[in-house]
Amino acid sequence: MRPSLRSTVPAALISAAVTGLLCVWAVSAAPASAQTPLAWGAGAGAAALTAAVTAAAHFRSLVERLRGREAAFTARAEQLAAKARRAEEDVRRTVADARRAAEDAARSEAVRTATVAACANAAGRVQAIATSVLADLRAMEHRHTDEDVLTDLLHLDHRAAQAGRIADSIAVLTGARSGRRWARPIVMESILRGAMGRISGYQRVRLHSTSQVAIAGHAAEGVMHALAELLDNAANFSPPTAEVHVYVEEVPAGVVVTVEDSGLVMSDIQLRRAERAVTAEKSDLSALSGTRLGLAVVGRLARKHGLTVSFRPSARGGTGALMMLPQELLTELRPGSPAPQPVGIAPPPAPVRARKASAVPRVPEQAAQSTEETEAEVVEEEVQEVQDAPNPPATTAATPTPTTATPTASDPPGADLGESGLPKRRRGRTLAAALLRTGEAKARARDEARPATAAPSTTPAAQAARFSSFRKAVTPTPVPPPPATSTPSEGDPR
Amino acid sequence: MSRPGRDESPDRLYTLTGGRSHSDSDTFDLVTLVVAESDPAPGMQSEHVAILRMCRSPVAVVEIAAELGLPGSIVRIMLADLLDTGRISARHPRTARAADRLPDPELLEQVLVGLRNL
Repeated sequence: MRPSLRSTVPAALISAAVTGLLCVWAVSAAPASAQTPLAWGAGAGAAALTAAVTAAAHFRSLVERLRGREAAFTARAEQLAAKARRAEEDVRRTVADARRAAEDAARSEAVRTATVAACANAAGRVQAIATSVLADLRAMEHRHTDEDVLTDLLHLDHRAAQAGRIADSIAVLTGARSGRRWARPIVMESILRGAMGRISGYQRVRLHSTSQVAIAGHAAEGVMHALAELLDNAANFSPPTAEVHVYVEEVPAGVVVTVEDSGLVMSDIQLRRAERAVTAEKSDLSALSGTRLGLAVVGRLARKHGLTVSFRPSARGGTGALMMLPQELLTELRPGSPAPQPVGIAPPPAPVRARKASAVPRVPEQAAQSTEETEAEVVEEEVQEVQDAPNPPATTAATPTPTTATPTASDPPGADLGESGLPKRRRGRTLAAALLRTGEAKARARDEARPATAAPSTTPAAQAARFSSFRKAVTPTPVPPPPATSTPSEGDPR
Repeated sequence: MSRPGRDESPDRLYTLTGGRSHSDSDTFDLVTLVVAESDPAPGMQSEHVAILRMCRSPVAVVEIAAELGLPGSIVRIMLADLLDTGRISARHPRTARAADRLPDPELLEQVLVGLRNL
């Protein structure tokens, strides 16, 4: 109200003074008779005029004030609007940034996925090549008898095996499928030697194992690879002349494989770091240091197959790595299984301890299959032998089926004839089936050998009979040979 | 011979002999007969055990190689190891057969006479 008073009061005073003076002049100038009514009228008019002027002044100042305030408000509003616009722009920019960041993240994730997939794919191919190279090399090693050639082949074999291990490592880290798989359980000795063969310093590795356990085929490759990485670590971090010792111990929970070197002693921190590397729940590739892939690979494989890996200072002055293979991975090889024959020192591989149910069903069928294969091979070899030599050597007497040593065994009815005119064993036929038919064949052969004097028959049974009697004629037996089959040329089907 | 593309055993051949591919001794050729002198001992390489069991009666080197499915050179190295430790003895078949390579001519003559008399 103060500013309005300031403009109103002078206006009121001025108008009052002016009107007062005018009234005084008018009253004094008027004739005396009209002086009193004129004074009243003029006074009232002056008062009304003054009031009107004052009011006008007052409202005018009020209007001016309001106008000023309005301007202020407008300015303020504009200010606020500008600020809002700035804020909005900020928000928009932030949103854009966030979106770009999200896009970047998505793109880099896609790039990462693509890279990993490409690596996995490439590793798989290298693995496949390495596997076939190893198979080829093995075939060549069997083919070439020259020792110098063999030396070179073994050298190449070793190099290829190491390359294969690196491809395996990349495959494991990128989460690709394992390249090699074994259809049958692998005995511990082969596991250890397979692991040993994949590192450069394999000649420094000493194996101490009398264990007869075998690793189930599905886990054999992983166990071998993990062991190879541990062996490689041990060999790399110990003096180039020091030996690395591997011990196998059977414990109730499974089998413990210990790899001990006499190299650098790991400090507590290093031991803990190593354990973390192999036990990390979910390892990501960002934790890799680039050059040290071994432990990360071991960790992945350990998680996959349920292995437990730990490290401790070794009694040899270096570091010892312990790997626990759980019972689920272990099986026993049945006697008669192929390749490294079970050793006779230990008690015969009987089911020593209670097996987990998961491990059991796999074993018999695999064992049966492999047994079948082996026995079938034995039969084949025997056939070869019998055909080569008139008198079977003493070794064949040790084979499980003495009856197969007789020539008829090699020629069951219905057997296919090969190019040489000799019977061929059909692939995958079991020994039992062969024996069964052998019995029939023998009986039939005896029946038919006598009357089949003339009329050369082409049926396999007749040929079998002729062949068997030919054999009887050649081998000195007390039985007199049938007269018609005494000449070998006649016995020849061709 | 392993079938192509299907490697039967994870053992590499160089691990069987510790990386050697030349045998030091020339005692063994493919037809040398080998006899085991002792039973397998615990902790032996499984191939050594197999050889010792196989050779309870004389067996030729080539047969051992065939039975183990290994190249002859590798088998020869392992046999040389066993020979060095005195677990086997080796005998060359020719030296053994030299004495009775041909039967006595007189005996042959008698057989001929006997045959003619039949």
